[in-house]
Amino acid sequence: MVSFEEQVVADLVEDPNGGLVVLSSGLPLASIAAGLLLHLKQQEEQGGCILLLSAPDPLKALIRRRLLGLVDLHDVAPDLPAQQRASLYSSGQCAALFLSPRALAADLLTSRLHPSRVRALVLFSAHRSSDTSSDAFIARLLRSRHLLPVYAFSDRPHAMVSGFAKAERAMKSLYVRRLHLWPRFHVLVAADLERAPPDVVDVRVPMTPPMRGIQAAVLATMDACLKELRRTNKVDVDDLTVDKGLFKSFDEIVRRQLDPIWHTLGKKTKQLVADLRTLRKLLDYLVRYDAVTYLKYLDTLRVSEGVRSVWILADSSHKIFELAKRRVYQVVRADGTKISSDIKGTPTKKRKTTHNSTNNKGKETVYEDSTTDKYGIRNANADPGVVLEEVLEEAPKWKVLLELLQEIAEERMKGDGENAQYEDRNDESGTVLVTCKDERSCLHLQECIAKGPHKVMREEWEKYLLGKAELHGLRKNNKKKSQQPKGFGVLDGEVQMGPSDISGPVSISKLETNALLAAASEIRTFTKEAGIKDDSNVTCSKRGSKGKGKRKLKKTTANREASNRNKNRYGENDVDQGTDLEAQGQSGRTDEQADTDAFKVSADDAFSSASTAVDGCNYSSAFGELANGKLPPVQFYAVDSEQHVLDVWEPSVIIVYHPDVTFVREIEVYKAENPSRKLKVYFLFYEDSTEVQKYESSIRRENEAFESLIRQKSLMMIPVDQVDGRCIGPTLANDQEPLLSQNSITRKAGGRKAPDKEMQVIVDMREFMSSLPNVLHQKGIQIVPVTLEVGDYVLSPLICVERKSIADLFQSFASGRLYNQVETMVRYYKIPVLLIEFSQDKSFSFQSASEIGDDVSPTNIISKLSLLVLHFPRLRIVWSRSLHATADIFISLKTNQDEPDENKAMRVGVPSEDGTVENDVRAENYNTSAIEFLRRLPGVTDSNYRAIMDGCSSLAELALLPVERLAELMGSQKGARTLKEFLDAKCPTML
Amino acid sequence: QASSSAPVPQSKNVILVSHRQKGNPLLKHIRNARWTFADIVPDYVVGQSSCALYISIRYHLLHPDYLYYRIRELQKNFRLRVILCHIDVEDVVKPLHEITRTALLHECTLLCGWSMEECGRYLETIKVYENKPADSIREHMDNDYLSRLTHALTSVRHVNKTDVLTLGSSFGSLSRIMDASMEELARCPGIGERKVKRLYDTFHEPFKRVT
Repeated sequence: MVSFEEQVVADLVEDPNGGLVVLSSGLPLASIAAGLLLHLKQQEEQGGCILLLSAPDPLKALIRRRLLGLVDLHDVAPDLPAQQRASLYSSGQCAALFLSPRALAADLLTSRLHPSRVRALVLFSAHRSSDTSSDAFIARLLRSRHLLPVYAFSDRPHAMVSGFAKAERAMKSLYVRRLHLWPRFHVLVAADLERAPPDVVDVRVPMTPPMRGIQAAVLATMDACLKELRRTNKVDVDDLTVDKGLFKSFDEIVRRQLDPIWHTLGKKTKQLVADLRTLRKLLDYLVRYDAVTYLKYLDTLRVSEGVRSVWILADSSHKIFELAKRRVYQVVRADGTKISSDIKGTPTKKRKTTHNSTNNKGKETVYEDSTTDKYGIRNANADPGVVLEEVLEEAPKWKVLLELLQEIAEERMKGDGENAQYEDRNDESGTVLVTCKDERSCLHLQECIAKGPHKVMREEWEKYLLGKAELHGLRKNNKKKSQQPKGFGVLDGEVQMGPSDISGPVSISKLETNALLAAASEIRTFTKEAGIKDDSNVTCSKRGSKGKGKRKLKKTTANREASNRNKNRYGENDVDQGTDLEAQGQSGRTDEQADTDAFKVSADDAFSSASTAVDGCNYSSAFGELANGKLPPVQFYAVDSEQHVLDVWEPSVIIVYHPDVTFVREIEVYKAENPSRKLKVYFLFYEDSTEVQKYESSIRRENEAFESLIRQKSLMMIPVDQVDGRCIGPTLANDQEPLLSQNSITRKAGGRKAPDKEMQVIVDMREFMSSLPNVLHQKGIQIVPVTLEVGDYVLSPLICVERKSIADLFQSFASGRLYNQVETMVRYYKIPVLLIEFSQDKSFSFQSASEIGDDVSPTNIISKLSLLVLHFPRLRIVWSRSLHATADIFISLKTNQDEPDENKAMRVGVPSEDGTVENDVRAENYNTSAIEFLRRLPGVTDSNYRAIMDGCSSLAELALLPVERLAELMGSQKGARTLKEFLDAKCPTML
Repeated sequence: QASSSAPVPQSKNVILVSHRQKGNPLLKHIRNARWTFADIVPDYVVGQSSCALYISIRYHLLHPDYLYYRIRELQKNFRLRVILCHIDVEDVVKPLHEITRTALLHECTLLCGWSMEECGRYLETIKVYENKPADSIREHMDNDYLSRLTHALTSVRHVNKTDVLTLGSSFGSLSRIMDASMEELARCPGIGERKVKRLYDTFHEPFKRVT
């Protein structure tokens, strides 16, 4: 434990009411919490348990590890039976329990847990607390009976400042008076963390020109979208900057501003908001995905977004697609010039490749190619067709990462020799930790190191091509375009050229598609062939993967270093000793063939690829060493997984592949906790990228949040009870008495408030997910939590309420659930109520005017609601503007009604042993189960089932009625026949 | 379209509109159903046994008692009594609360519309859907024999899908199942005593119990 952590705990426990702690993200919340628990454990004068609310799983594990079993910790799963929960509460002298708010609220309301048995309440996501949140509900339930401390934590300072006086309101609702702020720049924190800082190396990696181009284009598009959004005059302009647009919270900003008027917005504005999110993802993926995956993602985007989105049609987005493609492949004329440039000039040549069965033609071109060069790059060909040139740009960071690893390995070798006797060797040979944003990148890097970057790119590329071909094949089949099955015979060299006299306009994209397909089919052929012809080839490609990669590279530069090449190849084959002779010979052959081929590459092209080749050699060498076991042990860690691995793996070198502020702080804390351990940290940034920008502005944002909190703290108004100095909690001043009850009370006794006895509402357990029980409790209604079979709330013996938020309403109309729920409510209660509850911060309406349409459409919500009303004329509908309005309506509905009986309410709809259902008004006079059965039979409708019931006494009798009699009863031949056929149909045996 | 002087409701397929509603802009938006003025107590008669009263919140704020008197006039002649509330003010909570309460206590169904189009559409829809079955808002069911059989038989409590298969294969057809004796039912594997009794009662007890 670092000393400032002790200070945090000491400050916190000073006030007997507890307090709210806001930390910079990444500071050790878990160890502070553990410290707090230990502190509480030490003062064992009073017993009772400590409740820890809504801790995420990684945090739970971390706290557990920090406590080392000194405090009894129990994880109470929400689905644990109530009895077991109760026994946990009463056991243990000073047990700490992790709980979900939902179960806890129910237990407190049913007195399974008495507040006096609780010593303290600890909350871990105070930024989510508001006066309607479940945290606040529990704090109120506890504090109203028993003065216990509430310790609230939040490590999301920027979430604490979103909204008006959020911190102040959260504190009021949690009954705490003290706000403790612990930013990273706090003197104590800074001193602790900077005492023995880790060795930091900042590596700035330049992005490749296409990457820079894409980034610029995305930013330009974003800017354009933002300008467009500003033009709508619906949002506050100040908040809309590209800088803010880099963060997820940007969506929140926009949504918060737009939600109240969301339904009035045009399609375009909504689309703009969605587009900005897409663009942010594109930026993020640019530095995270490899070139091929990025292109694939863009392809999918183009298909899925299609015509709807605004950005995809913008000028700069065209650039995004172009450049992304350029990173992977280029379509090149046979003479090496780019197709796009000469497409206008020489139309005759284009035609040639795309006449009649275009697909075939393309294939042929490449088949011919593949006879010469099976493995790799067809950058040149004697055939004047269109050829795909692979670029397969690798992420620049890959190279740097490999170099770093190599460097580390070298240093260690030296270190081993020199000072192995002084240093304890654990430090020196500790693991190297590479941290990425997500699991995906981890796997990718892992592959990169294991197989070499080229191989990885190659595999991605092959996958991409095969995917393309498959898709195209599907489309082709659908069109029923016949295509003569050209065998793989072409491979053997017999290539026929089609006649070149067919003319027709051909687009570049078509040529491109053809080239892609050709490449795909070639790959397929190659794998197939390899499988059949030469098993060793496969092993070769596996074991000697880097050799293969290098071979490809050489081919690109073949014309320049043809003489060197052979030497090179042998050297490389030495490295992968696994390659057997046969394979080697084969590869040699292909190389030679490639040679002749490669000479035809235009000088220009060769030059550009030569530079990549040099890089490639670097890779291979680094990688060769790895194969020899010289690279240090590498561990990968995805920051998103929040596993907190630093303590476990104890790395001596950390390579931060994707910089993340939270993780950087974790490193700092880890180092401060282990000052003697050597730690070197490398940061890999792309130079001038949004990655850097994002990192820096996330620090800036956090600092701003803290500054704002510091200001708020100085102005805060926390109401305090004069007598014992405790916080009074949320003011209920905005509560208005409903008009009618107000009148009646004034008449009775001069404005005397409060009804004589406490009102009671029975609430279904499942409803504790929502805030309504909390608000009802705030209004002084007693909540009785039970599991209800019918309805969500029972207000009186007559009134039962099914509550639906707007989203719920649409959804349960669609699933048919609502119909069933209303049906049972209508059956068991005299006044069944459907409560349609809108949300305070959203607009109060179903749909915008444009959605109503001209005709009565069965899918419209108006139609569905009308239908419901027609079928259940007894159903009452309550429209509520907000949670608080609902609570008021409940109170006014309950006046002059009896209190509900919880036992009765629980039994409603649950049949007793003999199958009859209590309270069912019809059950005494009707065989309800038979009627239900009858109504589910085909042919029986709402209009004819009564007639059937009149015509025969029971179902058994119905089964024997002839079809004529049925037709008579049902009033329709067709219906009768349907029913009879169903009844007599031979049941298929499935057993 | 509006033949104002129709003395009696001459056709079933017409929304009857009270003379009080003359000049209500809502009428312009009833386009999917015919309507005509008539001497009726409610504002609109939208079916054999359905009627509607129209109120705008603005009007309610001026005449808080109006709605109550109109409902009292209706008496009990209609199965479905709709109060069609046009929400035309910003500060809606208090007046809507009052209207909700009045509607609920006097056995009326409250429907809210935010525009004249929406209000008109409710009236149209209730008229057009007067005899429509509730299928479009009920659970969808597959149309093959087995799902229909399952759907029917599982209406009996505690009968599950396996039981349906058992019953189907041992009796061969639904009519045989419905006619089966207690003993025969009991012979099926997995169908216990209670399920037998429940099934037998469902099939053999009369629909209407004799009192």
